[in-house]
Amino acid sequence: MEHKHTDPKLSSEYNEKFDHKLIEDHDYDGIRELDNPPPPWLMILFYVTVVFSAGYAAYYHFFWDKESGPQETEFIAEMEEAKTKYKAVAVDVNNITLTDDAAKLDLAKIAFGAKCAVCHGANGEGNAIGPNLTDDHWITGNTPKSVFETIKNGTPNGMTAFSNISDEEILDLSSYILKKIQGSNPANGKEPQGNKM
Amino acid sequence: MNQQKFYYDNKIVAQFTYATVLWGIVGMLVGLLAAAQLAFPALNFEIPYTTFGRVRPVHTNAIIFAFTGNAIFTGAYYSMQRLLKVRMYSDFLSKLNFWGWQLIIVLAAVTLLAGYTMGKEYAELEWPIDILIAVVWVAFGWNMIGTMIKRRVQHIYVAIWFFLASFVAVAILHIGNSIEIPVSFLKSYPVYAGVQDAVVQWWYGHNAVAFFLTTPFLGIMYYFMPKAAGRPVYSYRLSIVHFWALIFIYMWAGPHHLLYQALPDWAQTLGVLFSVMLIAPSWGGMINGLLTLRGAWDKVRESAILKFFVVGVTAYGMSTFEGPMLSLKSVNALSHFTDWTIAHVHIGGMGWNGFLTFGMIYWLMPKLFRTKLASEKMANTHFWIATLGMLAYSVPLYWAAFTQTLMWKEFTDTGFLRYTDFMETVTRIMPMYYTRVVGGTLYFLGAILFVINVFKTAKSGSMEANEEAMAPAREVITTKKIEGETTHRWIERRAVRFTVFVFIAVFIGGMVEIIPIIAVKSNIPTIESVKPYTPLEQEGRDLYLREGCYNCHSQQVRPFRSEVMRYGEYSKEGEFVYDHPFQWGSKRTGPDLARTGYKGSPINRNAIWHYEHFFDPTSKAEGSIMPAYPWLISDDLDYSDLKKKISVLRSLGSPYPEGYEELAEADLKSQAEAISAELKKAGKDVAWNKEIIAMIAYLHKMGKDISSGGETTEEVKEEKPIEKVDFTKLTAEADLTAGADIFTKSCAVCHGANGEGNAIGPNLTDDSWIHGGTDTDIYTTVKNGVPGMPGFGTQIDDSQIRQSSSFVISKIGSNPANPKDPQGAKIVR
Repeated sequence: MEHKHTDPKLSSEYNEKFDHKLIEDHDYDGIRELDNPPPPWLMILFYVTVVFSAGYAAYYHFFWDKESGPQETEFIAEMEEAKTKYKAVAVDVNNITLTDDAAKLDLAKIAFGAKCAVCHGANGEGNAIGPNLTDDHWITGNTPKSVFETIKNGTPNGMTAFSNISDEEILDLSSYILKKIQGSNPANGKEPQGNKM
Repeated sequence: MNQQKFYYDNKIVAQFTYATVLWGIVGMLVGLLAAAQLAFPALNFEIPYTTFGRVRPVHTNAIIFAFTGNAIFTGAYYSMQRLLKVRMYSDFLSKLNFWGWQLIIVLAAVTLLAGYTMGKEYAELEWPIDILIAVVWVAFGWNMIGTMIKRRVQHIYVAIWFFLASFVAVAILHIGNSIEIPVSFLKSYPVYAGVQDAVVQWWYGHNAVAFFLTTPFLGIMYYFMPKAAGRPVYSYRLSIVHFWALIFIYMWAGPHHLLYQALPDWAQTLGVLFSVMLIAPSWGGMINGLLTLRGAWDKVRESAILKFFVVGVTAYGMSTFEGPMLSLKSVNALSHFTDWTIAHVHIGGMGWNGFLTFGMIYWLMPKLFRTKLASEKMANTHFWIATLGMLAYSVPLYWAAFTQTLMWKEFTDTGFLRYTDFMETVTRIMPMYYTRVVGGTLYFLGAILFVINVFKTAKSGSMEANEEAMAPAREVITTKKIEGETTHRWIERRAVRFTVFVFIAVFIGGMVEIIPIIAVKSNIPTIESVKPYTPLEQEGRDLYLREGCYNCHSQQVRPFRSEVMRYGEYSKEGEFVYDHPFQWGSKRTGPDLARTGYKGSPINRNAIWHYEHFFDPTSKAEGSIMPAYPWLISDDLDYSDLKKKISVLRSLGSPYPEGYEELAEADLKSQAEAISAELKKAGKDVAWNKEIIAMIAYLHKMGKDISSGGETTEEVKEEKPIEKVDFTKLTAEADLTAGADIFTKSCAVCHGANGEGNAIGPNLTDDSWIHGGTDTDIYTTVKNGVPGMPGFGTQIDDSQIRQSSSFVISKIGSNPANPKDPQGAKIVR
């Protein structure tokens, strides 16, 4: 049969190299097919993806021993990692250790002046807006936890939540308030509010 | 041998060719408009019918179903007759196929622009058109299989395997995804809800890519490429392996569109893995195509046709590598919802589908019209312009995608989002949106050259409607396998059996995923607090569909810290059980909306904000590319189908009590009146029966039910009954300086050093005010405070309040750096 598919312009060398692979009786409207095997690298790639898939499925679904599924586990891990990374949410409110670091307390003093003094007075003596922080009366408690949470989350009484500063800074502020402000005796102290602690 | 004379139907091929050219131009032009609208929002023209949300579906549907659809028919009708050595089975079915398809296209364009849509991507068309599509598609399949049965050749060639698989799979997909209950002539709800609808839709959507944009084009490649190159197909065995692997595996990959979304882990895993396993079978097609050119590469230099084929097949190879990569969860976490997807599909659409179509028609026209191609040079120019256009279109979009997704995910050193304002991430990528318009324009100009060439060629020749051909009759041999015959060779001569095997191969994947999602309850854990939509919310939801909001907004917060911080709690399977259809979206040109009704979400806005935003989005976000929707404010809500909607939704599982139809209107009205009254408080006189009221109700429903205790969006607060003292700002320099000092000491903590606002207090320099923006309002707020802000009247004396208020007033319009988004109502001072 005449091989109509071959271009006479092409080198006959080329045709000799490949045309012996033409499959007999495979002629569709002049289109012939060669009897080449699929490229081995392609088949290997296919088998590799199949093995990878089996391994992936086994790991995530048959040998998965975490409490929650892969997706939720990943989310929890990301949130945990952020806690450590940013220390932004690193503070465990149930286990707060106040700082004694003088440098940090100095910085906290500046932050107090910038963020708290507007409502609690420059020295924490309280003013028309916020209560006195120097006496032994506290509306929301004077444990490290309660002070920390009050700053972070605000209160229904009107105190703003300072959710835009990091936990570390809140912790330092709490330390400053409880160690330096509390028990000081500034001028013009506002009358006590809340419960005696 | 006994030669028989018969006639090829060339007329039908020519008709499909013309239709391909026509709809190609239309589809590309609409695409160009859509791209330009994103760059220049004024091109939305503030008219419903020309707004992006309606234009974009017209573009996608026109390109997929009109342009490539007709190209598929062109290729199939031409090649099948010749490969099977027989005229098409029925001229009537051919005509039905042609005219039916064109009718569908026209109906699609009209209804989509008119706002009739199912709200499911690439399956937007409403139920009467869906039925028409099924009828015409079956006519095509019937015609094809009939032709196969009456063929004169013994064996069926690989191109036809691919056409056959396309017919079978698309029939299953289209019918499976379009099961919907009509409410009226052009409105229906899909029977599936939420997660189920998502799985079915992406089983369909992904395989529209597979069996509409891939397999038929492989069929085209397998016929036209060896023909144009004059070379044999590289490997018959590879054809077999990659054909069966491809059609079997493709059907499982749909869930990769839903990674990290509210979908059970097992289904996501299947989506990932079957996508990864698709690389080799897809590349099998590319390899077999490119290696077919061995010995013909010198011709590629001259021939525009082969150039189109080579680049088209290469684009296919790139897309089918990129696709599996995008399906890896870690990549998808970055790519999804960005322009990466858009770039990806345009490499496939412009490169693979477009170039193969151009190459095919350039080859076909001279054959059909018994002449030469009018201008080989022009075709070559077309090739280069189109290639350049494709690159100029997609490269900027990749860049835009990387930029934007990294911005979405960037945190400050202290762990807060660096770009809290979504708008910032849009502004940054605008240059890439402009560049993309240039790329699209180039591609379109290339297509114009194509049209000219096609028509010149047609004019220079004459078509033989019925081309004479000779072939021997098919020798009837045993239906049994002959000794020495491979199994595959055996089924290649058994048309019906082959069809059955194809059906089995494509049927399995989807069913394994869909049936458990529908049948196994634990896949969608119930959330007790999730309530069905109220009548007003449902009407609002239908408007959301009508305007095509899903084209730019997702409703799916993924479980990433960056998204949870930006939008609120991540989305859960149980939240969507009343969503017919689901509206998770696949692109965030604007922010996610899943938590718009969730108090505490940064995305939550009050009714006034929405009202003003719909009227003029740039008033709320400078540089916004969202179209304005003034007609929502002026048009009356049409709730005439409400009763029917309630009963249809009840039949689909929404627990409306029996007889609720009769109460629904009253409920709708009372909820609408409440919103109307709220708007009135802020001076917006909007009647309860305007569309915007329903839209706001829907936006305030999303995410509401899972917030603790089902809190509602913060209402617009009525002015507190505080005695106001008229105040006029002071202007003396000394007063303003004193006011500035007070501001720094007492106000900056919550409003920023320059009044730009921060996480606590609002921006004071813009023209939006939560508590009123007149001199007296500002003075009153400073003095008496408002919920959340202390009153300073008890702390500083009145003259200081006057000074600080005056200072604040003097800073309005000062445009400081890092301004917070406007909050409250816009006030013209």
